[in-house]
Amino acid sequence: MTRSFIPVARLAIIVILLGGLLLTATVTTGLSQDSDRPTGVLRLRVRVKTDDAAPLKGLARKRFFLIRGSLEQNLELVHAIEQSTLVSRDCYYSKLGASDQLIAWLKIGDCESIYCRDVGEEFISGPKAVPEFTRAFNAGQKEFGNDQTAIKWLSTNVPANLRDGFYQSRQAFLQSILNRARSSSDTQVKSVMTDSNGTAYFTDLEPGPYVLSSIVPTELGTNSVVWNCEVQVKTGDLATEKPYLVSNRKDKNVKCLAAERRLPTCEK
Amino acid sequence: MQLKQTPLIGLSIGVVLVALLPVLSMGQRTRRPAPARPARVAIDYSRFSHATAKHQAACSTCHKIPTSNWQKVSAFPDITDFPAHSACVSCHRSQFFKGVRPVICSVCHSRTSPRDDDRLDFRRPAVLLQFTIEFPHDKHQDVIAFNRSRSVVAFSHAARNVMDQGYYNCVLCHSERTSLPAAPAKGWTDGFVPAAATFKASPVNHSSCFNCHWKEQQPVAQNCNGCHKLAKPYSNVEAPARISMKFIHDGGGEKKNHVAECTTCHINITKAASLRGLKPDVPITACTECHNKDGLRLDVSKELMAIDKDRSFTCTYCHTSDVGKLDPPASHYLIAERPPLKRKDVK
Repeated sequence: MTRSFIPVARLAIIVILLGGLLLTATVTTGLSQDSDRPTGVLRLRVRVKTDDAAPLKGLARKRFFLIRGSLEQNLELVHAIEQSTLVSRDCYYSKLGASDQLIAWLKIGDCESIYCRDVGEEFISGPKAVPEFTRAFNAGQKEFGNDQTAIKWLSTNVPANLRDGFYQSRQAFLQSILNRARSSSDTQVKSVMTDSNGTAYFTDLEPGPYVLSSIVPTELGTNSVVWNCEVQVKTGDLATEKPYLVSNRKDKNVKCLAAERRLPTCEK
Repeated sequence: MQLKQTPLIGLSIGVVLVALLPVLSMGQRTRRPAPARPARVAIDYSRFSHATAKHQAACSTCHKIPTSNWQKVSAFPDITDFPAHSACVSCHRSQFFKGVRPVICSVCHSRTSPRDDDRLDFRRPAVLLQFTIEFPHDKHQDVIAFNRSRSVVAFSHAARNVMDQGYYNCVLCHSERTSLPAAPAKGWTDGFVPAAATFKASPVNHSSCFNCHWKEQQPVAQNCNGCHKLAKPYSNVEAPARISMKFIHDGGGEKKNHVAECTTCHINITKAASLRGLKPDVPITACTECHNKDGLRLDVSKELMAIDKDRSFTCTYCHTSDVGKLDPPASHYLIAERPPLKRKDVK
């Protein structure tokens, strides 16, 4: 019995080892092919107008997404994005009962949340004071025992919905769309944010059709705009070539035009 | 009948099994030799590891945030001291009271004496780091983003102006360095010591995090694990890996002209959900918009032409020799509108 076991065991071990080697070789080859696979680059240039009289300018710090598949393949998703009824920033905060001063502070900086810019001392007390910031500062003084930390850590004492509730509500919508996109296209959705000139790069793209989408609308003047366009990525597309122009105004060079809607009036 | 046969059958099976026992056990040995019992390793109580299974309870089991002494040693509420004795003594009572100078005391104390409570610096700089840091650049860039379009937000000189106006951007955490990072282990290549402004600073303590993540905004200060992930012990490498060592972030070249937003050049940073595998990702096109334009400058083309004449030429405009002596990548030839070339193929 023992004698017969040893050759059988040896044979089994050899088979397992050979199988393992074969699997490793396949994976390694697959990986090396993967790293050598031809890819393309998509350079976005996003230029917008807030109204017809205003000049075209780069849309800074706006996140764009690239979803695998054609517009037709992502029709339901695009429909969900276009039909979204997201509340505008001003409406969101006024509905929460935020002070006029806070709404104005956010508006001046075009901020989605209070994390967008520094809260200077002039917004704690004096004619420019924002009541929410004054209250947070006073709470911070008690908590930290010094003015410096109270002002630097001011956001930690602002109620969550006033702090970044608007941003979070948009993130919730964004995540729901991304989850749907990921489940339908079975690949990771890529995203980039534009720089100050409205330029952004998607790199290492497999060739094929994609939907370029902003998913979350952007407020431009009195309008809300959202982009959903089909892009064909070819192998050898390089960032040095002409950028892919995205805008809310028609032009012969514009390849992706926004769907524009008037911002809803606030319900009091 | 059956009652009589049962003991007999049982006996027969027993005899057969006993006969086969040496053979079976031999087979067993052949298949899987019994592992040698490992020698008992003495535990070094002078070293504390977070990786020890029993040290992996909730962080707040031992660490109190903020520590009671924070106002004496820090400008902001922080973890500034080792956990109290109670964190250790419940399990390590026998080590605590072993001899006149218990070894375990040296984890936190500079002198191992019951009459002296002098503690080492927290955290001990000489000890290997046990945690890596999770930081999603993408989320942070999103939350400081604007609701609408706004013109000119720039890094370098312009970025400071933007910060002066109070608008947040990358400079919030990555300001200009005022001192050089430690030199690489092998020293600076070619003896080229870069200016401090070559590099950007990175957060070095909790002050950049706690001002938002103190409470409510997750991961909060109490949730250490939200940012710190247990890792194999490692040394912090301060010297940054640089391909173009001669590029100065806040110098801007001779004309002080590097005016752009960080993400204009670092094109992949806005999609980085983690620090793992994060690379600077600056494409050559970020440089050649100015540095390889007809009628402006031809810094790349000139050095490629120098290689045409002498295959051993070292590119020095941007690089130190560790990089400058290598084959220029295809991208460099591409922006110079030339086919790629290897040095060995230069005639």
